Amino acid sequence: MHVSSVYALRQHLGLDEPGEPVKVTNIYQMLGEIRPDLAEALGVDVIPLPRPKNSFGIDNRDRKEWTTPNGTPVLVPGGFNTDPEPDGYILMYPQGDTEAAPSGRMPNGGYYFDAIERQPPLDDEALKVEDNLEEFGPLSEEELDFYRREAERLYTETDMAIVANMGGTGFGDVAHVPGVQLKDPQGIRSVEEWYLSLVKRPDFVRELFERQCATALNNLERFHEAIGDRVVALFVSGTDFGGQENLLIAPRTYRELFKPFHRRINDWIHEHTSWKSFMHTDGSVSRLLPDFVEAGFDILNPVQWTAKGMNPTELKERFGAEFTFWGAGIDTQKTLPFGTPDEIREEVRRQIETFGPGGGFVFASVHNVQAEVPVENLLALFEAFRAYGRYPLGDL
Amino acid sequence: MNETLKRIVDHVIAGRIPSVQEAVRTALDEGEEPESILHEALIRAMTEVGQLYEDGEYFVPEMLAAAQAMKTGLNELRPLLGDAEMEAAGRVVTGTVKGDLHDIGKNLVTMMLEGAGFNVVDMGTDVSPDEFVEAVQSHDAKLVGMSALLTTTMEAMESTIKTLREAGLGDTVKVMVGGAPLTAAYAAEIGADGYAPDANQAVKLAKKLIG
Repeated sequence: MHVSSVYALRQHLGLDEPGEPVKVTNIYQMLGEIRPDLAEALGVDVIPLPRPKNSFGIDNRDRKEWTTPNGTPVLVPGGFNTDPEPDGYILMYPQGDTEAAPSGRMPNGGYYFDAIERQPPLDDEALKVEDNLEEFGPLSEEELDFYRREAERLYTETDMAIVANMGGTGFGDVAHVPGVQLKDPQGIRSVEEWYLSLVKRPDFVRELFERQCATALNNLERFHEAIGDRVVALFVSGTDFGGQENLLIAPRTYRELFKPFHRRINDWIHEHTSWKSFMHTDGSVSRLLPDFVEAGFDILNPVQWTAKGMNPTELKERFGAEFTFWGAGIDTQKTLPFGTPDEIREEVRRQIETFGPGGGFVFASVHNVQAEVPVENLLALFEAFRAYGRYPLGDL
Repeated sequence: MNETLKRIVDHVIAGRIPSVQEAVRTALDEGEEPESILHEALIRAMTEVGQLYEDGEYFVPEMLAAAQAMKTGLNELRPLLGDAEMEAAGRVVTGTVKGDLHDIGKNLVTMMLEGAGFNVVDMGTDVSPDEFVEAVQSHDAKLVGMSALLTTTMEAMESTIKTLREAGLGDTVKVMVGGAPLTAAYAAEIGADGYAPDANQAVKLAKKLIG
């Protein structure tokens, strides 16, 4: 949920004094922390395992106050650049190093960051997979210690289900291709060039995934040693395979380049842990769902049922036995920001009625709750969830 | 159609950049008119690419590869084509609206419009209403293509349309919109002339509006 929406909710529910800042847990998307008091008030029972560094490679552990362009008081990491440029843009630097070229920017009056692409000149003759592997190294002992302590803390201090993400298990995610945490990224770093590479340089992509997968399997073993089965699910892939209307890549591209590696990661998880494998992909992906099942994913998120070919009833009927649907609860492109509280309540009821029976449903919004959502709409969402979201489902 | 033009079509569809460049040069050497290479080979190939997308055969990577190859061919012809030819399909201004930096969709639309023979002025990202107006006026554009990915920025489309009208351009320029949270109903509500859900349909819409 965007930090400004978290702030609005906390204020409305009287959880904080006016002006009390909310911690930003993901600075790229500017998501706000859902602390236990808010989780309880909203009926949330899942918590993410914190990570020592954020997507810009900036240490998450020290914090300072900042006010976002829309006036929300927040806590951001110490290495977060808060000085606007003359045009009002906020630039973000890899690892917080202002000597390096900026890798992210928030527009004047904007709500979150987008990558600044730093694509070095490409020479196919000189292109090496190592160039695109810089960010996929072994987990350090320090990181593993952090995860071990945090998993233990959340496991003993809360009753919530913990979801972990150690990074490096998803392949070819264009949100990560620009390498915003790297000071001098090499290789293929523009989103367009990456998409082109899937058809122009398939051997390069395959070898890159092969090497990345080997590192990920090694990391998985050590990560599992550190946190054990204290988490219920691992966020394995966040690569978007669908747009609003269609798949982004051809089914043959998925099958040839991505699926074998997804399979290897998921097989390892199922053989060695009690974790469920969590996959996020936006958009219209119904054509690929049988492949995702075969690749071993257990959880599908965010179930963007407003996209083409993603009819909720059909999804539940065809894939309800295979997938846990995690999401689907409320549309965030139209109903939640622009609908009435009654429309929101009705959609929540309908979605629970469709996806709830027989289990295999974790109620969540379709993607992040955005900024500038009226607080009465957020309250309607959670009221409706509390009213209808309990087993036995009863008469909806 | 002669063999060389057929080869250009095949190379564009397959996204083979060096081969397109070479085949276009060969066609010119063989005495083919630049205009016929443009229409019978390059634009024709992109029409087929659009069809392959509609048929579920082609996706974003294949379209990007084809559009790049088409552009390479077009760059070979550009110095040889008359101004009238370059302007034949009309000028279009594209950009993402104020506050929105997400340009993958807009870039694809821009490339596909160019592939269809439109002369496109790409204003980039975070384009303010005034900047759209200036671009339309200075380039004498007939169509504006606006894109937004965010629920928080799509409202900037309405203010841009309003600003275009206030600048007296309401009758001279058409507006088409697109982007993930957009719908045809929303487009109509804010006074746009059309909505396209993807790059291929954006080309069809552009042809309908100003073609």
